[in-house]
Amino acid sequence: MTETESVEPNPTESGGVDLMSPEAAAAPQDIYRRMHKQCPVAHSLSHGGHVITRYEDVLQSFRDHKLFSSEMALHMGLGTERPMIPQQIDPPEQTRYRKILDNQFSRKRMKVLEPIMREQAAELLRTFADQETVEFNKAFAVPFPCRVFLSLMGLPQEDLDLFLEFKDNILRSQQIEPDATKAYYLRAATGKRIYAYFDKAFDRLSEAPEEDSILCYLLTVELDGKKLTRNELLDITFLFLLAGLDTVTASIGCFVSFLAQNPNRRQELVDDPSLIPNAVEELLRWETPVMSVPRVTKRECEISGVTIPENTMVSLQCGAANLDDEEFVDGDTVRWDRKFNRHLAFGGGVHRCLGSHLARMELQIMLEELLKHMPQFSLEPGKKPVYSPGIREVQVLPLKIG
Amino acid sequence: MKLKIDLDICQGHGRCYDLAPKVFREDDRGYVELIHETVPPELEEEARKGKDNCPELAIDFVN
Repeated sequence: MTETESVEPNPTESGGVDLMSPEAAAAPQDIYRRMHKQCPVAHSLSHGGHVITRYEDVLQSFRDHKLFSSEMALHMGLGTERPMIPQQIDPPEQTRYRKILDNQFSRKRMKVLEPIMREQAAELLRTFADQETVEFNKAFAVPFPCRVFLSLMGLPQEDLDLFLEFKDNILRSQQIEPDATKAYYLRAATGKRIYAYFDKAFDRLSEAPEEDSILCYLLTVELDGKKLTRNELLDITFLFLLAGLDTVTASIGCFVSFLAQNPNRRQELVDDPSLIPNAVEELLRWETPVMSVPRVTKRECEISGVTIPENTMVSLQCGAANLDDEEFVDGDTVRWDRKFNRHLAFGGGVHRCLGSHLARMELQIMLEELLKHMPQFSLEPGKKPVYSPGIREVQVLPLKIG
Repeated sequence: MKLKIDLDICQGHGRCYDLAPKVFREDDRGYVELIHETVPPELEEEARKGKDNCPELAIDFVN
């Protein structure tokens, strides 16, 4: 996530594709199509491994967790001292943890939180809906998922800025510190602060529990007859922080940027809000805000005729898979009436995004409330949205309202 | 028409019970449960929609 990823789509052609450039992040769809045609399993010049782009290959790789392992904590350099649970561990250990975590993020559980989320979205929107312009990322896409996250965890809303600093220091370290070594140390130092923050939070919540919060659930739940150790608690919450904020911020930015640039499509949703749940799925497919997911091979294998050696980094390019015309009829068109949409924006296999039901609900509520509060919006004339690669956050999204 | 679920393959994406709530429902962890093992004819289209949107291919029809 933090390293650059350039690929050589066809070794016989000069010049490759830089999937990790801001230009690619702004409009990756054309690059994905080129890769499907020219080199569906490409060589990565940045991590030395491979980039897998066909839908069928990506799906099968997700499903084969014995071959495509997630145990790669050290490769990622995300400021952690131990693997994040359950994302960076494999079954059977991973399965044990999912058994106690899934219920906290089920659709049923998320539905209970819907009114709180809706109020949080509306409250933020009211602060700028009557303005002429707004920088939407800072005003909404960043704070909304963070506020929801704090409520869900049972943490004080005053910690919002601290949380944003934590996740930016880890996930955007090279924007803050362009020097790679300094960026590494920033991530390591921030990692220590994150562990210390949650350590203190768990102490506090043990004394004075916050009803119905996920952190309090984690303090009391038993795994095979034993409570979770403090390290287990910290390794789970570290993941929540890194996985639960940026990805939703990026999705909101990508969705709103698309609607700002496609007024007819926006109007269709204003006229018929019942299309919104399907629009969420279609925009997840088309935009795929988390462009790729990493794995490491446990043994040599062959994917679409390309031999991949053992112990090789592999990027499962979900964004490319989601545009594969072998899987998606009329896949180059954004259609609210798409009937079959088995997109892989949340990954697949045993590591299917734990927060997918939360994300879907946040995105649906965001679109419903946004189109209610400010049905007309477009890009501010003369300004362009700025996308960041990897996780496609629209870091600058200048909107004209009305 | 009868439905078959492979619970070893289901990963709790929840597309089936979202799109076909008269045929599928979620258990406490968000994984699929069948409401109707034998799908009544009036729900066949809905069942097919749920089945065809499963990213893991965990749902199948048996004759």
